[in-house]
Amino acid sequence: MSKDQIFRNCLFIVLTIIICIYSFAKFGEMEEEYPIYPGENVEIVRLSNYFDGIKGTNADTDVYIYGGQEDGGSALILGGTHPNEPAGFITAVLLIERLKVNKGRVIIIPRANNSGFTCTDPQEGVPQEFRIETSDGIRKFRHGSRFMNILDQWPDPEVYLHYPSGQKLSGNERRNLNRSYPGKPDGVLTEKLAHAIVQLINTERIDISIDLHEASLEYPVIDAIVAHERSMDVAAMAQIDLQILGIDYNLEPSPVNFRGFSHREWGDYTETMPFLIESANPIQGRMRGETTEELLLKGYDKYYAEASELGLLYTPYPAEGIPLEVRTGRHLEAIKILISTFSLLNPEKEIGFSDLPSYSEIIENKLGYYLKTGR
Amino acid sequence: MELLTLTVLVGTFVVTALYFKLPIGVSLAISSVLGALVAGAGFPVRHLVEGSFAYFDPILIIATAMIFMEVIKESGLLGTISRLLIEKFYNLPLLFLILVTLFIMFPGMITGLSSASVLTTGAIVSPALIMLGIPRVKVGALIAMAAIYGMIAPPINVPVMIIGGGVDMPYIGFELPLLFATIPLAFFSSIYFGYKYLKNIDIEKIRDKLPESHYEQYGIRLYIPLFLIIILMLGIRIFPNYFPALGTPLIFVIGIITGMFSGKKINIIRMTKNAMKDALPVMGILVGIGMFIQIMTLVGVRGFLVVNCLKLPSVLLYIGIAVSMPIFGAISAYGSSSVLGIPFLLALLGSDEIIVGAALSLIASLGDLMPPTALAGIFAAQVVKIKNYFSILKICLFIALITAIYGILMIIFANPLGKIL
Repeated sequence: MSKDQIFRNCLFIVLTIIICIYSFAKFGEMEEEYPIYPGENVEIVRLSNYFDGIKGTNADTDVYIYGGQEDGGSALILGGTHPNEPAGFITAVLLIERLKVNKGRVIIIPRANNSGFTCTDPQEGVPQEFRIETSDGIRKFRHGSRFMNILDQWPDPEVYLHYPSGQKLSGNERRNLNRSYPGKPDGVLTEKLAHAIVQLINTERIDISIDLHEASLEYPVIDAIVAHERSMDVAAMAQIDLQILGIDYNLEPSPVNFRGFSHREWGDYTETMPFLIESANPIQGRMRGETTEELLLKGYDKYYAEASELGLLYTPYPAEGIPLEVRTGRHLEAIKILISTFSLLNPEKEIGFSDLPSYSEIIENKLGYYLKTGR
Repeated sequence: MELLTLTVLVGTFVVTALYFKLPIGVSLAISSVLGALVAGAGFPVRHLVEGSFAYFDPILIIATAMIFMEVIKESGLLGTISRLLIEKFYNLPLLFLILVTLFIMFPGMITGLSSASVLTTGAIVSPALIMLGIPRVKVGALIAMAAIYGMIAPPINVPVMIIGGGVDMPYIGFELPLLFATIPLAFFSSIYFGYKYLKNIDIEKIRDKLPESHYEQYGIRLYIPLFLIIILMLGIRIFPNYFPALGTPLIFVIGIITGMFSGKKINIIRMTKNAMKDALPVMGILVGIGMFIQIMTLVGVRGFLVVNCLKLPSVLLYIGIAVSMPIFGAISAYGSSSVLGIPFLLALLGSDEIIVGAALSLIASLGDLMPPTALAGIFAAQVVKIKNYFSILKICLFIALITAIYGILMIIFANPLGKIL
């Protein structure tokens, strides 16, 4: 080997080591969980309390239980099923930090797919975190992957066969929590996580369950409430109430032949009344331009504006974009109205709560105003 | 800005690959870095590393499949099967071609990967086809096309699953449309490439040149690696509750280990080195492609391309589909299905979605023939021992064009087809 070759080989090895060290540190940062500051009268337990098959794994996550003075019904709110859908996660965080329950119980899981918060999806080029300015400084939040971290569940099969239906999906969907319900106690980690959530619903006798999501603007189920047959009456009434507030939601029936979704399997395998809410998130879409933290927060993208003019989208795309405030405000208002409507129709299971900002307040004061600073 | 970045990305790639003759994977990495710099994204090490892992699983499949191919060649299995095929079917050319086509397609049908077909059954039949007088380049083309159709044929079609997953369409009812999309084309392609060479075979003239059969020496043991691979790949599909999902790389590793003891003695270290030497450029391309797409997405070039494809006037939309999906498939047929297949399906709502989904997956699959990745073409060239895989791609062009037209016709006539299929 010539001196020149030795030099080149050494240089290559040194460069590789530097890149490895940098990458190890950069991807390792994702393991750090930014804090959530819960309000009063909350009990925090681990999801593994309901199914110990996930204990000690990256799937285990905090469950925040808010109980009122009076007995009533119980609600479950799931954020972070897909950690690349920030409005779902931030809505759950906001609830945890602001909510006061005076009747019944509200249970919140902000990082339903905790593992997905520790990575981002290759080829999506999304930021690993985003920052929101509060009254007392900047707060950071994780932005993650739609799927469970591949380091927690590998390899993907070529084809994922949903349990128990046997429905076929592409292999990486085996790491998608919202294709894995009702779950399987002896399955892969995502199936175990889904099973744990179903166990929680059954153990806690949850009456109404809401799974918070976002979707790209070219996806037909957008700005929508997806409801199981059992939930349809509540959803239809809530849709009208939301419309009165100037918040338009499409009402979508949960398809019976597409399995694994929370809105389908929670309804079929538990007694709860399930809902899934979608808001419109440009950073998830295939038509987006530059992928930045600003796009995540402000929701403005010139290609989506163009696509909207061409009639390629399934939701209106305002000139100012769809900021995180709007998406979170929509989620929050929908949650409030769904629970109130449920309480109205089921007075013996009423759930009473307070101290949550309205949609217009969030738009006006911005999100940071309602988030705690941690000081 | 995105147009400038795209120009830099493509321009740098062309200059480094064609003028400086750098390996394609390295050229893609350099163009990704320059593209990011021009777009103002700096030197995004995190994105380059993250993108390079996008094809980690396919890289493992390629590595293990290449070693498996070397092992069964060295064990004597490849030659034994070639001899068997020729001796049994040389006087039935049409039946022979049809069976060979289905045989090549089989691994693709059950894994959804064209490279699985090329590197296993494609490698097994190629010596026989060459012995029978079909030129190497045409054997390569026949294998590449059959493998691509195998990837699209049922029961497993991953591109359709990806497209369906993006619009909440379950993978139900695709069997007939996918058979309609692939089987006629597959038979036509094999007959087009091979039939005229097989019409008048004088077996006595080639009998002495045929590879030696090792069946008498080793018996059924010789076939164990192949049987194991087939059983493990099929098992998980047919009895998912009883077969563990081992993953394709591990299945090939099991095939390699059994292959070491099933026939002639094998020097596994040498075999592995040879296989890695062949596979390294392709694995490098996949790493480079992963970086390239991640940077394209980061700086907005992906959105620029998608929106510009979708805003084509409706008459040109079909041409846009036929051109853009295979071109984007140069990066990966799966990537093309995800990035373009889903928006195109949504743009075509109103037509029978199952037929349109099947047709889009057929067109996206042509990406496996598009350089620089051209996985089906590159591996077919390696299997038939041709250095320049472009010669194979060149003669596949006609069949690829027919395939694209067939796919577009399926889209145009989706509704009447949907009533029949």
